[in-house]
Amino acid sequence: MSNIAGKAYAMNVISPLRPYLTWVNKLIFWYAAKKPSNLTGLITLSLIHYARWVIIDRDKFPHLDPKQPKEDLSYNYMLFFSNFNGSWDQYVDSFTFAIPGGLDLLWKWTVRYPKSVALTPFHNYIQYNQIETIHYYNAYPLAASNDVKSAKSVKSALIKFQQDTQNASDDDFMKSYNALLRGLQHDLGDMHPTPIVSMSAYQVQKRQKWHKKNDLQLGGK
Amino acid sequence: MASNISGNAYALTILSPIKNGLQDETAYADIVRNRLQEWNAENNSPMALTPDTYLCRFFVLDDVYTETLPGANAWDTVVDWLPFVPNFLRRWAWPKEDHLKSRYLVFSSNFYCGPEGTIDAYLRAMWVAIGDRIKEIWGYCYGFEDVNDADQFIAYMKKCQLTATLFFVGSTDDPLNEQLKALYLKQEFAKFAIDNQGLDKTALRNNFQAFFDRVQPANLSAPTWAAGKYRLED
Repeated sequence: MSNIAGKAYAMNVISPLRPYLTWVNKLIFWYAAKKPSNLTGLITLSLIHYARWVIIDRDKFPHLDPKQPKEDLSYNYMLFFSNFNGSWDQYVDSFTFAIPGGLDLLWKWTVRYPKSVALTPFHNYIQYNQIETIHYYNAYPLAASNDVKSAKSVKSALIKFQQDTQNASDDDFMKSYNALLRGLQHDLGDMHPTPIVSMSAYQVQKRQKWHKKNDLQLGGK
Repeated sequence: MASNISGNAYALTILSPIKNGLQDETAYADIVRNRLQEWNAENNSPMALTPDTYLCRFFVLDDVYTETLPGANAWDTVVDWLPFVPNFLRRWAWPKEDHLKSRYLVFSSNFYCGPEGTIDAYLRAMWVAIGDRIKEIWGYCYGFEDVNDADQFIAYMKKCQLTATLFFVGSTDDPLNEQLKALYLKQEFAKFAIDNQGLDKTALRNNFQAFFDRVQPANLSAPTWAAGKYRLED
């Protein structure tokens, strides 16, 4: 099991959805996706890398072979996949405290959804409906979502700075450099391997041991 | 209405039904699970070799869940708590118990698809990079026995694909090598800023030029971070 890859946590939640209300849910998703401003609440949760909701109608589970038994289900299902930074509690609580109304609007059509306030029933609901990831890959385990976004600012600022100061005097260069640092002060910062927040510590330690062992072997040769 | 695409990022959701069978008394689904578990112990994920993958995951969906705890809507409350509700009505109102007839391998990937917004190039590159590893995992799924090349793999995955109802990108949708280069630069420039505090203007300018020449911000191929890099030392 590996819900964590570096600084990212993979959450999977599956919720049964009443078939006769699914169209309402889809309509709300459609409205949410229509304008970026409709997702302002989600954007404020800057700890998210990528998230998605997928609704599977009960007769639309992939069927690939005549030998495969056909599903016979009472409900449609909503799958939620998220990639975020920080711990499970921090993430789930951030929904409750930042955008409880928006979250409930997306989920309230599912069966026996307890709403995101109060916290304890909501925690119980997510824990019960969560599926553990077996293998999780992250292209930048050392970076949080905010690191990826700020790195983009750093890169473009550096390139622009170099272009702008090519023919500048040393005094102007110094002024521009100080302005560059002031402008990037919220974007700079060292990235390091994650402080461990869950069981993936085991995997991380295993890899570190693997590296140490191999480094020692290489060093001895 | 629904879309897998947000800007240049793509949300690929795959549900592949695993055959109901046993090998040496172990269910195929559990063999798939074990093999994925073994990927965790490798030096890095095989998916690090698949270009433009931001984040991806694999798990096995064994079954769906029956909701038995009280919900928050009025109808549930009435049915659960009022003593005068007859038992037959309570039972009728209880959530139904669903069970899947197959277990499903779930693969969910977030990747850079570019302006063309298709999955073909991504899946082709995945097959070319790790075709053997794909067979290790998907080999126990219905319909996969006919998959022998990239085209067949693409066609197979499209049959297993589900459309996202809402895809939210909270990060950037730049190509992965662009993101990795930017992260490298952020790390290096932070170090530079710390190491060069208090220098006079000539020394600072010389050092900055040497720094700029070394890190080559416009060169995406090198120096940069490798995909999946999880420690600072190389």
